[in-house]
Amino acid sequence: MMNAVQSGSVRTGEWESLAARQDARRARKNALLTSAFGAVGLATVLLVLGLVAAIAYHGAPTLSWEFLTQPPREGMSAGGVGPMILGSILLMVGAFLMATPLGVFGGVCLAEYGERSRLMRLMHASVAALAGTPPIVYGLFGLAIFVLKFKLGVSLLAGWLTLTLFCVPSIVLTTEAALKTVPAALIDGGLALGLSRWQTLWRIALPYALPGILTGIILSLGRAVGEATPVLFTASIYYTTAETTLGWETLRQPVANLPYYLAEGYRQPGVVPERLIWGACLTLILLTLLLNAGAILIRSRTRRRYLW
Amino acid sequence: MVAAMTLPKQKVAMETVELSVSYNGKPALKRVSLAFPANAVTALIGPSGCGKSTLLRCLNRMNDRIPGVEITGKVMLNGEDIYARRVNLTRLRREVGMVFQKPNPFPMSIFENVALGPRLHYGLRGRALQEVVEDALRKAALWDEVKDELHKSGLALSGGQQQRLCIARMLAVQPRILLMDEPCSALDPISTQKIEELIVELGKQYTVIVVTHNLQQAARISHYTGFLMYGELVEWGETRQVFENPTRPETEDYIRGRFG
Ligand SMILES: Nc1ncnc2c1ncn2[C@@H]1O[C@H](COP(=O)(O)OP(=O)(O)OP(=O)(O)O)[C@@H](O)[C@H]1O
Ligand SMILES: [Mg+2]
Repeated sequence: MMNAVQSGSVRTGEWESLAARQDARRARKNALLTSAFGAVGLATVLLVLGLVAAIAYHGAPTLSWEFLTQPPREGMSAGGVGPMILGSILLMVGAFLMATPLGVFGGVCLAEYGERSRLMRLMHASVAALAGTPPIVYGLFGLAIFVLKFKLGVSLLAGWLTLTLFCVPSIVLTTEAALKTVPAALIDGGLALGLSRWQTLWRIALPYALPGILTGIILSLGRAVGEATPVLFTASIYYTTAETTLGWETLRQPVANLPYYLAEGYRQPGVVPERLIWGACLTLILLTLLLNAGAILIRSRTRRRYLW
Repeated sequence: MVAAMTLPKQKVAMETVELSVSYNGKPALKRVSLAFPANAVTALIGPSGCGKSTLLRCLNRMNDRIPGVEITGKVMLNGEDIYARRVNLTRLRREVGMVFQKPNPFPMSIFENVALGPRLHYGLRGRALQEVVEDALRKAALWDEVKDELHKSGLALSGGQQQRLCIARMLAVQPRILLMDEPCSALDPISTQKIEELIVELGKQYTVIVVTHNLQQAARISHYTGFLMYGELVEWGETRQVFENPTRPETEDYIRGRFG
């Protein structure tokens, strides 16, 4: 007997039957919730796997070294998607190089000064709004400002700037969130050691938050590389049968890229054969999967190093 | 309540003068004047919420950043008020080190934990840095346990080892005054004993100020004891005298376990 004492209106000896009733209730609820969550979870996983499997099924036969490296031939109806892959990677690398410092710096500012200053709270709200802005809006903004106003034309450079704008808000938010997870005890430890605020931030808080920040950057780039609309009016060409040559002048030229190729290729039926579309689709998925695998790898490596 | 007392011949390392602190207008420390003798261990005791941590954190200005805090009075170190306008916090904290109640090693290797301070403060590298790290770990009585795994994460150590790592990290910066806020309260009895022995040892070379809830511990490790209640300094003196022959009835009650 667990509780043999009278308390309030509950009499001695009644405790056990009361507990038994609650235990049964809890067990029923647990069983119900477990099966409900299990079913929904399984459905989600199956949905995603099914999607990937379908694309892999249609696209895999097309994948080959030729397909990944060669330009399209015979008026886009044959050949590979080499320039599209290269263009996507170029766009992504440029956006990465520009958006990372801006986004991380913004996130640091918000995390450091965010609570005290009204200006920073306003900034946070605006950045959050920007992060939820549809990509097409960035595309049109890029067209109006970079392409037309700054006279950059439809070019890799204009694409970089637009994608940077597109990526920065989410990097700012994830950096800020990652920095907020740094335990106050660590910050206190750094300050008590005589480190300045910047040293504490740089030596203690940023390393601690790094996996979260990197994951945010990679996820944001993954989203960017798959979006057609930000680069639609700012950087893209569809028709290309030449090898891309890299040089300074590439900056001022439009580039082919996978999402735009997919969109246009599908919109103009009869030109690009379906198997090429499937192949490009699979390639794009593999590219984002690769990015995500990179994110996971970074996380697990740093976690092992720091033993969280 | 009690005026600053110093024993003749005993050099004072640090001193508070009419120090008052309030959080959002609510007083936590009331006109505390207290001298900490150099190269000795001073214990701060008192019931929960009486302001021990507040007092300790004033001594290296860790209270500054708490929103709503108001601090008046002086804290004298080397003839200067550390709350004066032009005081350099880095210099202050280089001289006045601190360990916390809960061990808080940085998420990096044991070596890096200890090396960070001397590297940033004194620009040490290579051999010189290694020597300082080893010396600090030895002083913290941790060297023998970790010397073969300096590159392991500091978080992989036990709680007691982590606390000694934090002490080593503090010592590596070469402070003269060590502040410890209940350094053993999160530890098991054996680790506690180790840290107590360590504090006694450190008291020979450093000025140690330690907050503790454990009266026996205060009696065992300290030369001087200050007793705080409701934010006021009720009694201060040599530990033996405070414990065996307190001058105030409140102290007597607290020590006999009749309060708090
Ligand atoms: N950051 C803070 N903000 C507001 N009030 C605080 C803060 N820190 C402490 N206080 C208040 O100041 C008073 C003294 O707190 P302090 O932490 O100094 O007590 P303490 O003697 O260390 O207690 P304990 O033995 O429980 O650690 C308490 O009433 C507490 O509620
Ligand atoms: Mg306390």
